[in-house]
Amino acid sequence: MKELQELAAKLLADGAVQVVLGYEEGPRGVRPAFITDPAQAGRLVFDARCVQNLATYLNPRRKHIVQLGKPAVVVKGCDARAIAGLVRERQIARASVVVIAMRCGGVLQRAEENAALSSETTAARCAGCDAREPKLYDYILGELPPDPPVNASRAEKIALLEKMTPAQRKSFWDEELSRCIRCHACREACPMCFCVQCTAERALPQWIDPSPTLHANRAWQMMRVLHQAGRCVDCLECERACPEDIPLGLFARYIAGAVETRFGYKACDDPAVPAPLGVFSTEDGEEFIR
Amino acid sequence: MTQRFLSHADLAALVAAHKRVIAPVRAKDDARQTDYLPIQALADAALGAALPRRSLKEYFLPPTEVLLSYRQTKEGVEIKEVPTQAQPQVILFASPCDAAALEVVDKVMDWQYRDELWFGRREATTIVGLLCSSMDSSCFCSAIGLGPDSPRGSDVLLTQVEGGYLAQVITPKGEALLAHCAATEASAAAVAQAETARKQAREKVENNAPAIPNEFGAWLEENFDHPAWKTMALRCHGCGACASVCPTCHCFDIVDEHDSSEEGVRRRNWDSCQTAKFTLQASGYNPRQSQSERFRQRIQHKFSIYPKRFGEILCTGCGRCCRVCAGGMNLPEILGGLIALAKKDQGESGQ
Repeated sequence: MKELQELAAKLLADGAVQVVLGYEEGPRGVRPAFITDPAQAGRLVFDARCVQNLATYLNPRRKHIVQLGKPAVVVKGCDARAIAGLVRERQIARASVVVIAMRCGGVLQRAEENAALSSETTAARCAGCDAREPKLYDYILGELPPDPPVNASRAEKIALLEKMTPAQRKSFWDEELSRCIRCHACREACPMCFCVQCTAERALPQWIDPSPTLHANRAWQMMRVLHQAGRCVDCLECERACPEDIPLGLFARYIAGAVETRFGYKACDDPAVPAPLGVFSTEDGEEFIR
Repeated sequence: MTQRFLSHADLAALVAAHKRVIAPVRAKDDARQTDYLPIQALADAALGAALPRRSLKEYFLPPTEVLLSYRQTKEGVEIKEVPTQAQPQVILFASPCDAAALEVVDKVMDWQYRDELWFGRREATTIVGLLCSSMDSSCFCSAIGLGPDSPRGSDVLLTQVEGGYLAQVITPKGEALLAHCAATEASAAAVAQAETARKQAREKVENNAPAIPNEFGAWLEENFDHPAWKTMALRCHGCGACASVCPTCHCFDIVDEHDSSEEGVRRRNWDSCQTAKFTLQASGYNPRQSQSERFRQRIQHKFSIYPKRFGEILCTGCGRCCRVCAGGMNLPEILGGLIALAKKDQGESGQ
């Protein structure tokens, strides 16, 4: 932690960056911090409660953050994938951000939880993580902790969904999506949702009804999830932001699995690796063309 | 205010006697949480470690509702309005912050025009509040001038005592609800027990945040351009989850949706000033360019604009906005910071 605080203070004092995006202790657990004064760098913390993906604040539509100046951002391996995504999709230049990567031993499900990592408390997305030591960084800090305990709840749920008949699966999702109020919090919190105008808000033509009716909710989530195929970094800011507690992480994992099977692609923190849907490859399967 | 004793059996009979009763129910996806949902029997109700995740708002202003349907004919446009009369319902174990919120929102719903759908549901509903015992560090109802034992908005307010509940009848509607109920006069012991419980509940929340001073609204208005706004909402995602779970946020958007080229419906849907689209104009210009300005609007509306117009703070201190925020924004903390700035200004101008 001291290493991180000293590095942040130095970057700010040297004028290498104008703001450090990190984590601090808040009234309800750990939360994002925006340090602009080197004297405040002591506020920075890093531990298993740091669930948030701070790369989402680099999204260029966040004008109030852009105005702070050049940022340094504290990332875990999963978050580094979002930076790579933003660079890959030409939203930010790699040189426009200083990446401070932390070697990660897994995170909790909630930032306000103060528990030891266990198979119940660890975030399900940490299971089988291959990015605990990020490769995309300007600085990398900490020792590599041991593998986190495996929370299999999401894998089990997906296995259960895959076993269902289409009608059963539809009724599962209809129950979940009937709660969606179309606030689009999932989109606003997402690091990879940076469209200037979202299709959900196009009125001419109106692709998706704006009202939270079941058929429109289905259309909205289908569109959002398909647009995330091969782009989603599985940080689950969407699921954390959802005020209706819809298990959006299931979509994220399912679609990532489909992309991996189909294109052999896994979200990674190398911006030079093209996204599967952003590149033409003669290797792509085309058995659906008859 | 009359006080009566209701045994668990009395309350169970009351639930059984009503067709539609809404109460906190254990959440399916998280055993620690509760949601306000319809119940069949008293045993279905559950009180959780925290407030129900979402407020009572959706039972009066649903996330989406049809206002009218229309059909284009050769003769012109046929319009069919929806009935404004609602089914009678009882809300049981309402949290005092949620019950009070309905009265606060009544003001705007009866301003310039009377919202018939809102008041149709308000009139058809009897609210049985319960002394709150599920407060956490984000609750700040007492800072708003309410409290875990506030009777505001409830028709009957219950306090758990040995063997049942002490019921304070607050309105004629509450009187009517208990008229067919085997409630007996409360014993002195039950009254004393309830009083102790209320005092303890108040003490639990009173230290969470300082009371909001009367002059705060005027200070906010004068300090619309204060530099503090610029950096206050950095961690805010602008996702509007706070507005969805807020018992007092009531903004809505009206849209027409076509079923075919000839017919369709006009709906109103929840909306939030925290999203960029809220103020986006047809020209493409947006008067609230960044999240700093949108967050300022949230604070100004709740603590300055609404109080100035209606004499009420548009917040009941339920703390849901803090619990749901993925970015870790914290309203009592932010209010504390602004109140400190206001006090500093006052100190300086007094010298």
